[in-house]
Amino acid sequence: MYEPMSLDQQTELSPDEVHAVLTRHETGVLSLAKADEPYAIPISYGYNPETDCFYLRLVSTPESEKRQFLTSSPSARLVVHEADGDSYRSIIADGTLERVSPDDLTVERIVQYGDAKRPLFEIWGETKRNLDIQLFELTPDTLSGREVELDPETHDT
Amino acid sequence: MSDGTDYTFVCPVCDESMLVNDSMRDALLDNGCVICSASLTTDAFSSA
Repeated sequence: MYEPMSLDQQTELSPDEVHAVLTRHETGVLSLAKADEPYAIPISYGYNPETDCFYLRLVSTPESEKRQFLTSSPSARLVVHEADGDSYRSIIADGTLERVSPDDLTVERIVQYGDAKRPLFEIWGETKRNLDIQLFELTPDTLSGREVELDPETHDT
Repeated sequence: MSDGTDYTFVCPVCDESMLVNDSMRDALLDNGCVICSASLTTDAFSSA
């Protein structure tokens, strides 16, 4: 017999809790769009909790699908989620993806990009010299998180 | 104390090249190439 999943406890995360989730992870899913065509990819990020800024390193080739969506300052959504026993947490950051030119690099940016170790370049058939690697920043217009605590008595464990 | 560009950085893996100062050089050595994340040694830096 079908039993709907219990959503007994669903709460908004505080800013500190959002920062904690984002700090203990390094990967998420970045979503872009062009007209009504979506595009989503797993990415690695560096995160500064003081500024809420995300630092991303995006790799593409001239033929890649990604290029079409990386127009000047595209709108973007980044999702980070985790599961911990019966607790599920998700963070959503909405904002504009801004390209960072190598001419605009600072010590802080170098440190932040140091946290964005993935994607693993080994998955690309090309050597790094032949890949177009671009740096981006996402400073969210909105940043929020949610936690769902499932009642273990109302679902299978 | 120099606040200008003291070094030419060339990544041995992705060939990215840029002028950097002392602080940026130290940050690159600690964190890897900012473009491709490759680990770096002082060999990647030469006096500008």
